[in-house]
Amino acid sequence: MKLLESLRISWRAIRGHKLRSTLTTLGVIIGIAAVITFVTLGAGLQEGIVGDISPDDQRNVYVWAAPPENSGQGPLAGAQPVFTQRDANQAANLSGVEDAYVYTPVPGQSVTYGNETVARQSGFIATGAGYLDDDEIADGRRFTGGTVDPENGTLEVVLNPAMAGLFEQNVSVGDTLTLGVFQGLQVEVTVVGILEDSESRSAFEGFGPSPRLYIPADFQLIGGVGEQPRYIAMVAEAPTRSDADIDQVKQVTEQYLTGPDSDAGERAASQDLAFELQTSTELIGQLEDVLNLLQNFVVGIAGISLLVGSIGIANIMLVSVTERTREIGIMKAVGAQRRDILGLFIVEAVILGVLGAIMGTALGLLAGYAVSGYIGIPWVFPARWTAVAIVVGIAVGVLAGLYPAWNASRTDPIDALRYE
Amino acid sequence: METESRNSAVSLDGVVKTYRLGEPVHALDGVSLEVPRGSYTAVMGPSGSGKSTLMNLIGCLDTPTEGEIFLDGQDVTRVSDRERTRIRGEDVGFVFQTFNLMPRLTARENVALPMVFRGIGRAERRERAAEVLDSVGLGDRLEHRPNELSGGQRQRVAIARALVNDPALLLADEPTGNLDTETGEQIMDLFEELYERGNTILMVTHERSIAEHAERIVHLLDGEIERIEQLSGVGR
Repeated sequence: MKLLESLRISWRAIRGHKLRSTLTTLGVIIGIAAVITFVTLGAGLQEGIVGDISPDDQRNVYVWAAPPENSGQGPLAGAQPVFTQRDANQAANLSGVEDAYVYTPVPGQSVTYGNETVARQSGFIATGAGYLDDDEIADGRRFTGGTVDPENGTLEVVLNPAMAGLFEQNVSVGDTLTLGVFQGLQVEVTVVGILEDSESRSAFEGFGPSPRLYIPADFQLIGGVGEQPRYIAMVAEAPTRSDADIDQVKQVTEQYLTGPDSDAGERAASQDLAFELQTSTELIGQLEDVLNLLQNFVVGIAGISLLVGSIGIANIMLVSVTERTREIGIMKAVGAQRRDILGLFIVEAVILGVLGAIMGTALGLLAGYAVSGYIGIPWVFPARWTAVAIVVGIAVGVLAGLYPAWNASRTDPIDALRYE
Repeated sequence: METESRNSAVSLDGVVKTYRLGEPVHALDGVSLEVPRGSYTAVMGPSGSGKSTLMNLIGCLDTPTEGEIFLDGQDVTRVSDRERTRIRGEDVGFVFQTFNLMPRLTARENVALPMVFRGIGRAERRERAAEVLDSVGLGDRLEHRPNELSGGQRQRVAIARALVNDPALLLADEPTGNLDTETGEQIMDLFEELYERGNTILMVTHERSIAEHAERIVHLLDGEIERIEQLSGVGR
């Protein structure tokens, strides 16, 4: 018997029990939909994060010092303030290093613009001028790093649009803000630039858009009384994003930091800290590992749902074989071979499995699309997983249908024809 | 014997069928019978006489314990299950008491079903099924399902299905058992017409009036042929 005939006859049997067939495929639908949804979201999340790394960011080496047990836990995990401005200046002069600057998040309290004060605990970033690029600035310019005189109110800041939009009237270049920072300190700053978007500028800032304000690293001098301020991290830039250039930067920077001339090295040694030197790509690799772990976990759970789904199909196929004993007898009496009957029931189970897979995939794609739209990550069509889902549907059908179909094919036509 | 078995539609030679249900039960105990081509034979006997066993053996649904069965000149006792299934599909047409139609298929599809398993294309099947249905007087019921047909019409569909592969033998098991007398008579008229067209018919029944439509009646008793009764004026 030709496959087309089996399909035609099996499809009719399924249509004869619409509700039952639908309920039977539900297990497969839910399993596949769950996999597709989470895989879509995972892929979208990765795409969103990886998309955040600008080509310019890819040539940055991020450096911090943390206890060895924090190694591999992601950017700034366990990082201690060890770097000085001198370290950054020295590193910038190393051979193969384009630029180097310190980086630290500043604990804040509020931002005041005119009469309006907004509470902000995070999003204040003290760093070097090189941290921002000219072409990222939509309006105005970067702050000039290095020489700031806080006493004369010449502290320059750059805002991102999200920060500028916190106030009823948008902040623009040339406006003056008052920052409430550590220990109740109020500092007047002048806005010199607005960024083009509110995305994260580096792996240090976390991912996704949020209100941020960038201040020159010297800002730390205001609070520090006499002592040379220590920064939590440092960024060393390579001239290009080629592996060779990046390796060179890593090598010379580490050499300097662990050498006798470095302030950071001295403090790191006394606190048993190890230096971490990583690019954004490497840092995101670690995050992807976590995402993959999570994704595998969800896929595992969905796998259980698929298993339950295939047991459901097997169960209903067994019922179906019993119900249709007489029909099997008729078919055998008019010349159906054992393999015809076998094929017929396997095809029926496969149709159920594939139907479940198709509906599950559609549902999963829809859910993935809706959720990624809702949480604001790009939607990625998981082509490979869609194909996998269909293959799984076929496999589930074959596996679930095998035993019932084998049972059916072994039915004795004499008994079957007598069956009521 | 050899020449005879080649010429007959069905030839049984010393057929024994023993069921082992604790004690051996001889359902058939040495039955030899020739069913010539184009003949019309009825098999009668009380229940337990071996009628059904004989039907199953001739219809290639079962294999004898001993003896040989030739169907259309071919020994069907020593062939594989697959080959027996093929012979069953192509050389035997079954008509059952309970019609045994596929409930979800239309009359035309039911009739075409045996051709599906022979691998005949859809267009040819549809044409041939319509043709055979027309010949049993159901040309206007092609697309009806069994539950939309009367008992007599259902049996006509079943007969059309049995005829569709041009079998060597039409095997009918109590074909009027589920029908009222009048409808039963119409079905018997149809069998007679098929007989006159040259079909070989073997019919099992326990009703004398039905059996009398045949050329001869084989009386079975306790698994053996008690006697063979020749009827003169066929079916009247």
